[in-house]
Amino acid sequence: MEQNEQILSCILDAGELLLTAGAEVGRVEDTMARMARSYGFERADVLTITASMVVTARHRSGEILTQTRRVTRRETDMRRIDQVNALSRAVCAAPLPLEQLRARIQQIADAPNGQSWTTVLAYLLVAGSFAMFFGGSVRDGIAAMICSMLLYVLGRAGALVQLQPIVLTIVQSASMCLTAWLMVQIGLGQALDKIVIGNIMLLIPGIALVTSLRDMIGGDTISGLLGAFEALLRAVAIAAGCALVLMQVGGGA
Amino acid sequence: MTEMVLQLILGGMGAVGFSLLFHMSGGKLVVAGLGGVANWALYLLAQHFYDDRVLAFFLAALGTALLAEVLARVMKTPVITLLVPMLVPLVPGGDLYYTTLALVQGDVERFADYGNLVLGEAGAISFGIILVTCLVQTVLKILALRKSK
Repeated sequence: MEQNEQILSCILDAGELLLTAGAEVGRVEDTMARMARSYGFERADVLTITASMVVTARHRSGEILTQTRRVTRRETDMRRIDQVNALSRAVCAAPLPLEQLRARIQQIADAPNGQSWTTVLAYLLVAGSFAMFFGGSVRDGIAAMICSMLLYVLGRAGALVQLQPIVLTIVQSASMCLTAWLMVQIGLGQALDKIVIGNIMLLIPGIALVTSLRDMIGGDTISGLLGAFEALLRAVAIAAGCALVLMQVGGGA
Repeated sequence: MTEMVLQLILGGMGAVGFSLLFHMSGGKLVVAGLGGVANWALYLLAQHFYDDRVLAFFLAALGTALLAEVLARVMKTPVITLLVPMLVPLVPGGDLYYTTLALVQGDVERFADYGNLVLGEAGAISFGIILVTCLVQTVLKILALRKSK
């Protein structure tokens, strides 16, 4: 009996990993229900709403279990979605013993959250190429890369002191605009708008929007609306941060 | 022409950058990068034929989402992991900035124009994704029904 509770808890862990990594609600619920069924639960009702998860499962033996989970932090991590997906496929083919299941989930959760140099590289690549993609010169690209490093440092610092995401976005966007303007002033950058746009691409909540759209189509309207609203708030925060600086410097493009 | 090629390459690089940001690795980086290139190529093509930015965004999103659904099934990976990086070149970061700039400068007319454009672009991308997701789900259901018969 105790065993089943542990298994259900592991399944919730797997669901939580998916949800915090940015998977759609439909996928989270589907994965958890499938895993539960492969462990001998006749029926598993899973409800996931952006910040919380509830699962009630009826085991073959007649035991009925309910567990809930509060979900807070999220950070897009496609690799993790992929790993949990692979684990769930394996479990559905042949259920792993509890100890192994727990170990596998722990392994996925503990995996280093992306080497920091890869993230640095990603920031440089995104900011640099998009500044030029939108018509900036090579010098604008370099200036955008320098600004993106500021975004990275601020992001890390913000996570460290657990700043509210929206506030962090405003701070990031404002300081990035200011630095971009300085770059143009000292003559490194040429087009303020291109430098800023390259960096805006880093801040824009593209994933959140796509995920919430897919949530809404999947019938998870509540999660979808919450996600879409969060994305909208983020976009407004980016614009507000930029506006703060542009109002001071005039924003001559 | 050179500008277009450059844009394609840069769009692909941006897509790879985003994939790195989302902790993707190995072959998926290449697929996402090429997907980003395909995405912008579709946009340029549509823009060439219809000369309408919002419509071109819609067609590009439609084609890319379809490509992502197919590739995800081939690679046995969740659709969203490929779809998001591949769509990145369409993200209207530029027009969001110009909307803000117009607002700050008090240029109501340009603010309305750019604001409309951003909303139109975001809507076009969303509609493209929605259409493909619904289509794929329906087709899969039909296939499953025929199989079970």
